[in-house]
Amino acid sequence: MNTATQISTRAMIDEQDLHITTMRSAGQLIKRSLINTRRLPSAFIPTLAMPIFNMVSFSGTFFALTKLPGFPTDRSVNWFMPLGLAMGAAFSGVGLGFSLIRDLENGFYDRLRMSPTSRISLIVGPVLATWIRVTLVAIFVFIVGGLLGARPTAGVLSYVCSLVAALGISTIGAGWGLGLAFRFQDMRGAAIMQMSIFLTMFMSTAQVPLDVMTGWLHTVARVNPVTNIFRLSRSGWVNESSSGYMSWSNVYGGLIAIAVLSVLSLLFAVRSLQKIDK
Amino acid sequence: MTKNSIRQTLALGKRSTLELFRQPALVVPSMIFPLFFSFLGNSSFGRTTSLPGFPKVSSYLQFQLAGTIVQGVLFGSVTGAAALATDIENGFFDRLLASPTSRTGILFGRLAGSVLFGAFSTAVFIFALLPFGADVSAGIRGIIAMIISGALISLAVGALMSSVALKTGSSEAVQGTFPLLFILLFFSSAFFPRETMSGIYATIAGFNPISHLVEGIRALSLDGFTASATARAVLVPLAIAIVALVIANSQLNKRLRSN
Repeated sequence: MNTATQISTRAMIDEQDLHITTMRSAGQLIKRSLINTRRLPSAFIPTLAMPIFNMVSFSGTFFALTKLPGFPTDRSVNWFMPLGLAMGAAFSGVGLGFSLIRDLENGFYDRLRMSPTSRISLIVGPVLATWIRVTLVAIFVFIVGGLLGARPTAGVLSYVCSLVAALGISTIGAGWGLGLAFRFQDMRGAAIMQMSIFLTMFMSTAQVPLDVMTGWLHTVARVNPVTNIFRLSRSGWVNESSSGYMSWSNVYGGLIAIAVLSVLSLLFAVRSLQKIDK
Repeated sequence: MTKNSIRQTLALGKRSTLELFRQPALVVPSMIFPLFFSFLGNSSFGRTTSLPGFPKVSSYLQFQLAGTIVQGVLFGSVTGAAALATDIENGFFDRLLASPTSRTGILFGRLAGSVLFGAFSTAVFIFALLPFGADVSAGIRGIIAMIISGALISLAVGALMSSVALKTGSSEAVQGTFPLLFILLFFSSAFFPRETMSGIYATIAGFNPISHLVEGIRALSLDGFTASATARAVLVPLAIAIVALVIANSQLNKRLRSN
């Protein structure tokens, strides 16, 4: 075997090892995150309670919205359940940033960085753990929503679209939260995480459809990519006669928004992590 | 109250007021968020004012003004009470007890800061939203009554939150009541009229004290300067404030006994 072949074989083995290490480390971080959820329910309960509170309070308080001409559903809970789920997913994602800040402050993260673990696993692991948590939240929200009178109008696809939207929002939130946490490394980042997610969510069709909005919000919501994600999430919960009902044209915009924003936010997280290493 | 205890209460009131104004990061969010929600609501729900059951208003912002004031005052009062808890945590409260300071002055001095901030933020909300269509039908007399109402709501909520601070001695516990206030706010008529709600939501909003605080101020904003509107705006928070002060005073006495 000549030297070039040796180096090439070595590189292949290293790459394979690296892949195994990455997945193993990510798996351990998922396990840690899920154990923390079980051991510290006080940290997980707000993530579970928030979407329920949003759904219940908004659909009750703003029940009269459904009487507006052209409102896409006559069930307010059908309209506000996806909002509750999206808020829960977003804060579940951003919550990763809070945990990371704690880990950075108490030194746990330095120990992780000193260990021979792949850097990517430090992002992949927590994001996958968030997906598991968001799926649990979504199941809970669907059950409570059903009890409150939410009825899907596109069968199983209604649930699938809402879940995909929630997972997408949590990924975006996670990338953004981790990136800010790596940059700031203290609680200043937490305030920016919450504020930015809150503003982005509410300056979209979170509360009312575009047709109902007036003034500046209409202009902002029309170009806000989160509007597309809400369209995807609600496509199976609005009336069949509504223009927002389940169809490819109402779904693909949300999928593209999720893909693009997820890639950008995760890249932001990776670049911020690299900055710490430097 | 003796002359000395009044002087001490005023000094402590000055301290708590300056503390709030010197740390804008603590109080600015309680002013920015309600204003943001107002403008957001105006654009989101502007078309709902024609719905059956909605009171006659010139704009949604006019309807929303009262909700904005109460929202801001509620959040500001939590900050004031959390500062009292911080005094307990960092030992300043014990140092006050060791000095010949009036005991009730410790509580009332702290509440004075919240009351002044409540009046100030009410004025800011009114004058910030006025140019955008949040008309006050009751005119300048109504605005004065609204500012008094805002100050009384601040006193009522501040006293209730101070009870939590005195009972627990933990600023975290006081901040922990924030979600409860948030829930109360959303299950009230702060953002939408009770007449448009139905079933259990209408019942909860009817029993919710926040609804009555909001509707008092809203009456001045929508109905003009009438005796009933002024009475609702001032007497409801005053009654709640008296009950809250009794509770807070009893918590203060318990803490003094335990010390």
